[in-house]
Amino acid sequence: MLAATDISYSYVGSAFRRTPSAQSPRVLDHVSIEVERGSIVGLLGPNGSGKTTLLRIVAGILPPLDGRVLIGGRPIEQLTRRELARRLAVVPQETHSTFDFSVMDMVLMGRYPHLGPFELEGAADQDIAREALMATGTAALEARPFATLSGGEKQRVIIASALAQASEMLLLDEPTAALDLGYQFEIAALLRRLNAERRTTMIVSTHDLNLAAALCEQIVLLKAGRVLARGATKETLTAENIRQLYDIDADVQFHARAGHITVVPIARAN
Amino acid sequence: MRGPVTSRLCPLRERTEPRARTPVRRRLIWTIAGFGTLAVAACLFAPLVGSTRIHLSAVFDRSIPYADNLDAQIFFVARLPRVLAAALVGSALALSGVVFQALLRNPLASPDTLGVSAGASLGAMMAITFNFDFSLLGITAVPLASFAGSFGALLIVYGLSAARRRGTSAIVLLLGGVTVQALLSAIIAFVQYLADFTQTFRNVRWLMGSLDVASYAPIGAALVPMAMAWAGFATLPRVLDLLSVGSESAAARGVNVERTERVALVSASLATGAAVSLAGPVSFVGIIVPHLVRLIVGADHRLVLPASALFGGAFLIGCDLVARTIIAPLELPVGIVTAIIGGPVFLWLLFRRA
Amino acid sequence: MAVISSRLRLAASITVVLLAVAVLRVVPRAADEPRRIISLVPATTEMLFAMGAGDRLAGVSNYDRFPPDVARLPKVGGLLDPDVERLLSLKPDLVIVYDTQTDLKRQLERARIPIFRYVHRGLPDITATMRALGERIGMKAAAGAAAARIEQQLASIRARVAGRPRPKTLLIFGRDPGALRHVDASAGYGFLHDLLELAGGSDALGDLHRQSVEMSTEMILTRAPEVILELHYGDSLKPEQFDSERRVWEALPSVPAVRNNRVFLLGGDEFVVPGPRIVLAAEQFARVLHPDAR
Repeated sequence: MLAATDISYSYVGSAFRRTPSAQSPRVLDHVSIEVERGSIVGLLGPNGSGKTTLLRIVAGILPPLDGRVLIGGRPIEQLTRRELARRLAVVPQETHSTFDFSVMDMVLMGRYPHLGPFELEGAADQDIAREALMATGTAALEARPFATLSGGEKQRVIIASALAQASEMLLLDEPTAALDLGYQFEIAALLRRLNAERRTTMIVSTHDLNLAAALCEQIVLLKAGRVLARGATKETLTAENIRQLYDIDADVQFHARAGHITVVPIARAN
Repeated sequence: MRGPVTSRLCPLRERTEPRARTPVRRRLIWTIAGFGTLAVAACLFAPLVGSTRIHLSAVFDRSIPYADNLDAQIFFVARLPRVLAAALVGSALALSGVVFQALLRNPLASPDTLGVSAGASLGAMMAITFNFDFSLLGITAVPLASFAGSFGALLIVYGLSAARRRGTSAIVLLLGGVTVQALLSAIIAFVQYLADFTQTFRNVRWLMGSLDVASYAPIGAALVPMAMAWAGFATLPRVLDLLSVGSESAAARGVNVERTERVALVSASLATGAAVSLAGPVSFVGIIVPHLVRLIVGADHRLVLPASALFGGAFLIGCDLVARTIIAPLELPVGIVTAIIGGPVFLWLLFRRA
Repeated sequence: MAVISSRLRLAASITVVLLAVAVLRVVPRAADEPRRIISLVPATTEMLFAMGAGDRLAGVSNYDRFPPDVARLPKVGGLLDPDVERLLSLKPDLVIVYDTQTDLKRQLERARIPIFRYVHRGLPDITATMRALGERIGMKAAAGAAAARIEQQLASIRARVAGRPRPKTLLIFGRDPGALRHVDASAGYGFLHDLLELAGGSDALGDLHRQSVEMSTEMILTRAPEVILELHYGDSLKPEQFDSERRVWEALPSVPAVRNNRVFLLGGDEFVVPGPRIVLAAEQFARVLHPDAR
């Protein structure tokens, strides 16, 4: 349902020149990905490989230098920002609120694309928000100030606000990077459940290989702005690919109890 | 376990339920009613109170010719323009404060942060020091030059914000604006150095702020940029909420971040320029009124913006009332009263956060 | 032995004499007839000219404008910004400084240059300063005569308006051009207030006992002055602006001064400099307050 073809992007060196030259360093170089409806796709790669940039471009926040993004067959430039927001939602890595919003306030912000410019949220929007909170197990926190929550609770609330956006696709940028083991497990389980129940399409950018192995059916490996490999997780997350990606010798094995592949780093490759 | 098809979170669902009363709507009504009453009461009460007793009956007594009616003149020339100016300036500074705090994602931001206020002061200093002589439609040189100065500062800051790369945070805008503010302050110091004795005296007096406009023409003139600012502010409430959580989140929810930031910057700067050129720089209103309002109504900008406009006006009317009665027959500059109230309140807010 | 001791005695006495001369040259004598006077205060410059000591001036302040002779004298700064280098380079033997210029006084003391401290509070200080300055520079008689002349002229003005009703007068030092904002008025203290009272007026804000006060519109209306005097010094007001500035007051028609058309705009340096020309200032006040008094 989503196809990004031939995406290139470059962060221009100077703050005052908008157009890059041919020599500008490319963060993304002719990257293409395809995501089917209802699937969970992982974007893996080392820091600086372009994962976050690709997510931003797919979400329509950054315009690509080359290439286009199609959603449901339509180029995203043809959609208004609100229309696009109704079709995909973004869960950023961290959320910091300048002011003292409550959890309910944060979730209700996800309803913005569905309301008119001066429209206030109605009872229906409140219900949707509550449902989203229940789906993420944070219903009890409704009236608490967002800033007082723990990292895991915050992330679940943000996922709830993305759910309240009622979009068919979720883009998640390093959703568990700042969380401890318990919350990592929780979030991964939550995402799997949402995908199973609602057939929400997800693109998850992460450098936690085990998370990707647990969560994603398909993965795309990015190295230095190019696609190294792509395909089903079982076939793509191989020791060889990991060595090429991270310069690390790792042991990749199927873990029977967990039900998915696990990756254990062993030594530095030379 | 609900199936995906019947879940209400299913995308692109049609809304058919009628809109019922909700907390936001109810709170908005109560907020506007409450603060509106306060503002209206302040506007009605303040012109009647002052260092001299006047009688309302005499003010509106048509049988006394206006030229002889001292009560009427005190009411219509001395006090009413003052109260209207206070309402306008107070609400303008409070609104700009709210918008700058959201735009810069910094609760300590104020209308002075980006240098628009310094630009207005520079314009006024130059008009006083170099004896500018022009006037336009009944407005004298100092307020005109002051507004021109604020507009110049806005152009510089706007240019800086337009030139920055996409995807940069509010830090760049903040640093650029603070630099402009510092640069303009240095130029102001230089202009003051060039001034002679009388001019220095007038400069210092202007910088203390004064709401005693004594005529309606400057208020009318200030309403022109204010109206444009209000038009901009009207589009901002919900998007400021979204922006203050993160510009990328806001963009992902459908906000046109660049355009919103520009509208916010220009509106808040126009309002600040209008206020400072009318009454001089009045400190602390733009920074503490938003915080006091948030303590009462919460963080939702759809409530905070109208409440700040109303409370800012009432607050400054109150401060001006104190300024002109507390050491009667002499008067304190209103900036001193707002600082005496605002300073401790600001410190208290800081400690609360820490 | 006697020859040697007498030669020794001679050498010693010559040495002592030479030493004495050297010491006397190094230590400056308190000059009682200074010939190179620098005056940082425009008032004292005018006083020196009035007592006939104008030729003894070596330098004046940047703000000196009267008499015309000062144009050719070197300028050494003013109250806030004295040009110490220039001042010292003119080799003065007396410098008249403001009492508040503590830094400058210290520098001059270190350079062993005599100073005269100028202090000014009210009208009587003007003639008192003239006499003190005259004594300091050795022209006591001339200074006394000039001071007496001033006192006599002021006394005659006072006599002229004696017994007449004293109108409540608002004496305005400055305001925003073209608007009734930031109005600074005399409030019962200082030489201009004293002149006003002498010329037969009653300071409308006299009960406040301050040099000046910023008046609000309400205050002007409440005090209801019968005469309004606006001072415009130097070339700050062109003749064609007089009418438009007077018309600014029409916003307050209940004020008696406005109603009876007794708003006057006065100009001239004599209002700024508390020196010999205050007599002219007093004359202007008297003529405007009591035009029928002769």
